[in-house]
Order: sequence, then C-alpha cells, then structure tokens
Amino acid sequence: MPRLAIALLRHAYTIDPLLPLLLRPCRTLAAAQNELRWLREHVDKLVQARRPVNRKLQQQPKALLRRLAVERASGKPLQYILGTEFFGELELRCQPGVLIPRPETAASVTHLSHLIQNAPALPSELRVLDLCTGTGCIPLLFDHDFSSARSDRRLQLLGVDISDKAIGLAHRNLARVRRWKASAGRGDVDFILADVLSNPFGDQTLDPPCLKAALNFNKKPYFWDIVIANPPYISPSAYWSTTTRSVRGFEPKLALVPPPRPGNNDTEQADYFYPRLLTAARDAEAKIVLLEVADLDQAMRVATMARRIAIFDGIEIWRDQPDQRNESAVGISAEFPVRGQGNARSVLCWRGLGATWLGRGRATKTSRTTRA
Amino acid sequence: MNTMHWICRSCLSRAIRPLFKLRVRWQTTASATESVPPALLARARAVADEHKQLAEKLANGFDTRAAKKLGGYGAIVSALEEWDKANESLAELTSLIHDPTSDPELRELAADDLGATRTSLAKASQNLTTSLVPIHPFAHLPCLMEIRPGAGGSEAAIFAGDLVRMYQAYCNRHNYRSTLLKYENINGTSEAGVPLSEAVLEVNSASAYGVFRCEAGVHRVQRVPATESKGRTHTSAASVLVLPSLEENTSLENDFEDPESDYYIDVNEVKVEVMRAKGAGGQHVNTTDSAVRLTHIPTNTVVSMQDSRSQPKNKEKAWQLLRSRLAQARREKREEEMVALRRSVLGVAKTGRGDKVRTYNWGQQRVTDHRSGATVHDLDDVMDGGQTLDTVMEGVRRWLMEKDVEALIAEEASKK
Repeated sequence: MPRLAIALLRHAYTIDPLLPLLLRPCRTLAAAQNELRWLREHVDKLVQARRPVNRKLQQQPKALLRRLAVERASGKPLQYILGTEFFGELELRCQPGVLIPRPETAASVTHLSHLIQNAPALPSELRVLDLCTGTGCIPLLFDHDFSSARSDRRLQLLGVDISDKAIGLAHRNLARVRRWKASAGRGDVDFILADVLSNPFGDQTLDPPCLKAALNFNKKPYFWDIVIANPPYISPSAYWSTTTRSVRGFEPKLALVPPPRPGNNDTEQADYFYPRLLTAARDAEAKIVLLEVADLDQAMRVATMARRIAIFDGIEIWRDQPDQRNESAVGISAEFPVRGQGNARSVLCWRGLGATWLGRGRATKTSRTTRA
Repeated sequence: MNTMHWICRSCLSRAIRPLFKLRVRWQTTASATESVPPALLARARAVADEHKQLAEKLANGFDTRAAKKLGGYGAIVSALEEWDKANESLAELTSLIHDPTSDPELRELAADDLGATRTSLAKASQNLTTSLVPIHPFAHLPCLMEIRPGAGGSEAAIFAGDLVRMYQAYCNRHNYRSTLLKYENINGTSEAGVPLSEAVLEVNSASAYGVFRCEAGVHRVQRVPATESKGRTHTSAASVLVLPSLEENTSLENDFEDPESDYYIDVNEVKVEVMRAKGAGGQHVNTTDSAVRLTHIPTNTVVSMQDSRSQPKNKEKAWQLLRSRLAQARREKREEEMVALRRSVLGVAKTGRGDKVRTYNWGQQRVTDHRSGATVHDLDDVMDGGQTLDTVMEGVRRWLMEKDVEALIAEEASKK
C-alpha cells in the first residue's frame, strides 16, 4: 500500500480534522468524506434515539464521532461500526463474527430472481435453499425481489449455516425485514444450524449435525428447486495476499477460508466446499444451482466439477454484474458461456425445468453438443 | 450590287435573337422523369433492408422506437416495391417486342401495353421520390400564424387585415378549427374595419403546420390604396409568420414511458457503471463504495451518485437526475429551434418589398408566387380563400418538396 501523501493529509485536515483518520482505511479523499458523512448521520441518529445505549457518551456527540472515527481508522469495517449494511434494497444488520454481505452477491441473486420471475411453468410453491447463509441475506433478498414481482407463487426459503452467531443474526434480520413496511417478502423463511461439510455416512457428531440430519430434525423437505451458496472460497495463500486488512482483521476466517485437510494443497483447499455443495444440490434434486466463486480460474474449476457429475443440462459463468451487457471476450474459453461485466463471480447450473425457468432453451442444446 | 444597306445595330441583334422569348423557368420547372436518381435508389434499398430487420426485431419483442421508425418506412418500402414491379414489367415487354421469335400478334399487344406501363413507371418513380423526402418533423402539429403589416404604412395594415380574412375563409372552407388569438388594430383596440397592427391566428387542427408552412414570408400587394387620393399604384407588404404550436406535448412531462415526453430515456442508450472494488472483489474486500455512474451515450451526459450507502437507492437517484438533466437539455434545444425558426422565417431587416414570396396585383387581377413561379388570375377568389388559393398553395408545397428532393440527392451524392 503506497503511503498517504503529507499534502493530502494536510488538505484533508483543513476540510475536517477527522478526515485524516478515515483516510487510513479509505485511501481516497472522496471515499473518506463519504464515510465521515455516514458516520455523522449515524451519530445524529444515536443522539436522537429514545433509548440511548450509552447515555453518557451520547450526550457528547463530538466525542462519540471521534471514537467511531478512531475505531474506523484501526481498520474495523464501517458496516460493523454502523451495525447495518445494504444488500440490494434491504438494509440488514451485521455484527462482528458474521461475514458482511457483499454487493456482488446481491447483484447475482437479484439477477437470478429477475430471470425466474417471468418464467412460465413455475410450480405453485418454489423452494429455495441457501447454504452458508451468514446474515441470511440471500434468502431475504430473494424473497423480497421475487415476491414484489410475482405474488401468485408461494415461496419456501431455508438458510443453513454452521455458526450459531450467524443463525441468531439471520433470525433477527428476518424479524427486521418483516417489520420494514416497504418489504414485499411474504415467503416462509427459516434458518437452521447444520454442517454442510460433514459426511452423512461418517461418524455423526450432533453439534452441529450434517445437512440431511438437520433437515430431518427440523421437519424440512429434502427436495429443493433452487440451491444457492456463498461458501468460503479463499485459499490460504490468497487470504494473506489479496484480502484487505480490514477483512483479515475483523471478519471471521470461518466464513472466508475453507478448513484445512491433511494432503490438500492450496487450490484444493479453496475448492473444498464445491463438491459437497454439488452433491447436496444433486440430493435435493435442484433444478437451478448458483454458486459464488472467487475468480475465473475457480469458476472454470467449479464448472468442470459440475459437468463431471453429469446431471446438469447447462452451465454458465456470471460476472460481478450479470445484468450488464457482455464484456469483450478476453481470456474466455469457449467451453462455458460467460455473462456480464467485472470479475467472474458465480457459476450457474441448471437441468430439466430449470432451463425453461431461466429462458435458456437454446443454451441447453449447445452445451449438450459440446459434451458429446 | 454587292453593297449592303446599313442596318442599325439594335435591329441586327434583334434579328439574331428569337422573336419570341421562350418563357421557361428553369429552376422551378417540375421534371417528371421516369428514372429515379441512383443515389435516391440506393437510399431506398438501404431503407428497405432496415425495414426488414426492424420487422424481424419487432416480431421478437415490442419496442416503441422501432415501431415508430417502421411506420415511417412503410411508405418508402411499398413505393419501392411498386417501382420494382413496374420496372420489371417494362423490361419484360421490351424484351418481348425486340424478340424476333415472338408471335406478331403478341408483339402488337405488348406494344399496346407499353405506353400504359411507361406511365405507371413514371408514376411509381414519382411516388418513390416523394416518399423518400423526409416529412417535416413538425408537419403533424397545429400551427400559429402571426400576420403583421410591413413596409407601406396604413395601406400595408389594410392589406394585412385582408390576409387575415383570406386565411380565415380558407380555414372555414377546409373545416380547420381556427381561432383569432389576438387581433389588434392601429388604434390599439380589437375593433374590425380599422387597419390591422397585429393578428395571431391559431389553426387548431392536426397537420395544420404542414399545410400553412408554405405561407410564411412577405406578401406583397400592388394596388391603388383606398387612402390614395391621386390614383397612384402603391406597393406595400405584410409579413406572415407560421410557427408550429408545441404546447400539446409539454403536458405529458412526467410520463417516463412515453417516447414523446421530455423525460423519456431509452434504457439501451444508458451505460450503467457500478464502482466495483479494484482487484479480486467478492469476499476479499468489504468496501463501502456504493457509487453509481450513468452515461447517456448519445448526448454524453454523465451523472454519478454516491450519497447513500445503498446502491439501488443511488441508482434510483442517478436516474432521476439524468432524466431531469436530459429533459432540461431537450427543452432548451427546442426553444433554440423555435428561435432559429423565427429568425429564418423573418429576419428583422427582411420585411421589405423586395424579399417577397408572393405578389397580389389588383391592377392585373393577378397573384404570382415567386417561389413556385405559378401565376393565377382570379384574384378575388384568392382573397376569398377559394380554390385558386388552393392551387397556389399546392404549387408552393410541390416546390418545397422538389427542393427537398434536390437537397436529398445532393446529400446522398456527397456521402459517397
């Protein structure tokens, strides 16, 4: 990271004495000014709150603002300081110990719901399973987006996570979204604790149980129409090289890097979740599977894995903004179609009715011919 | 006896010149040619190709703009088809006539047919040329006519009043709804019979602008005025200003979906950019950057918004801002166009007798339009807004269209 220029710090100080603090994590003046504005709005809201959490501090808004700025300067994510993050149109709570929802995930989920909401042959009840749900952002956003466009279909959504904290937060977020008046979501949303990685045929530990046992125990259906997952996908080496300091220092490693296994190398560890997720999708007889990935290389590896289990009619790769027009075809093999703009972000697989839901009638044929 | 008589020079030159001058107006003479200029033909073919593509596109999904374009091309495509058909039948007939093996009876029949086919081809090519001429963008609108006296004092004011009555009579005869928005005589009152100082006539029927567009300009009168005591003929002028009345479509201002509205933006013309994290993105970073940038490609208008932490909210605000900015630009442009139109019709110094478009001569009972070169002699019928005025106006419209065709040919030729 290049050093901040003294001139820039001085200039920032003349604008606001707190700006140099915020420049440390933000690096650009415009971003720092935005964050300072949001922090100030947050403090104003706290001061006006009817039930103050810390009465003494909230009577001194300046001191409070300074404390928050210092906290931010240490690298703590703004989302943890403010306690919320926007995910699509929803504003969700987030707290240390649970991964902050990312805008790229929101873009993929919104695009998927846009594709499906116009589909002709939807079942009367659409079931969506989200593995590694974290704050519960994906089921809540899908519910909101889909229900605001189609009110004639029932939705059943289930989020699964290994972390107690995440499940608790997801339940609180569900209550928060239901309180929010503009929310269109009316689906049946639930969150359960389960370990996606544990082998149902191996030794059973009940804390947390494997996915199948958890579904059984919570009286949830085995079969799901759509399986979405944003699993940990960062390799240990990338964790130390490409993640930002604020991610490393404050967000849970559990949600970022898959657990190590003896004999696994770096990339194998990064891809550790995907075979399990694909197996879970096969067992759930999912028509559509959307898996988030780190980059184009991992996307190709996951797409190849998906093709190897030979149940999908079509596989494609989505970029950060799948709703935008395609970028120029740089570094793209003809094997899998790549849509949108930005970094490769997710892998979409479908089979059977899923093709008509997504409106991908023709794509099915071409992918079959490439396989043959 | 070889000596010649002396002849004066003017008589000699008279002998060389033809006795009767050939009265031909070269510039304005209509030429009903059988052949369509190749540049225009190429343009028609290009339009037909585009028409086909648009039709295919519309078969897959509706698009307002494409549909409107398609409707505009319909006339050209049908005219081209007709022309092709006529051309083909003419070629067939001539080959039949020139073929020595064909039956003599058949050849005779073909020769009979040839004349009819020739005329139909001429008609078709005329249709094709006129269909290619772009319709004036405001031709479908109602219009406002402003009539003011020019040079010539009170005689000009009296003539301006005559013109107002003439146009009112014309509107009555054609069932155009016309209202006199303003009628002010030289005393500053609206009493009739006193010389006019300004009148604004609104013709509230659709496509009135297309009809009255040709009337704009300075109208010259040559007569012995009622105010003249010594019986001398005066030449005076009155100016007529014709403007499209655009007020109708400003009422739809807030309708985003209507392509006619100022606030309408074609979504395909806007590039949406979301500030995304440099590098890997996804789980690797937890940026708070929610800025959205919209670029309207045709006008290169850029709007960026980063007020809110929520990207969708930023996007919504940015769209709002872009809409109002473009609407503002469009309004300004339209106003500018109106000003330009006013100036082009009537410059400040251009209301003299010399810059006339038409002359009304009482002494010879004649009306001459100086643009089309048409002269009619039933002055009273013209002043009553009768059929003679129709023929004059039609002549001017035809002349305008020929001008447009020439401009089109020049434009097409310069493209290559």
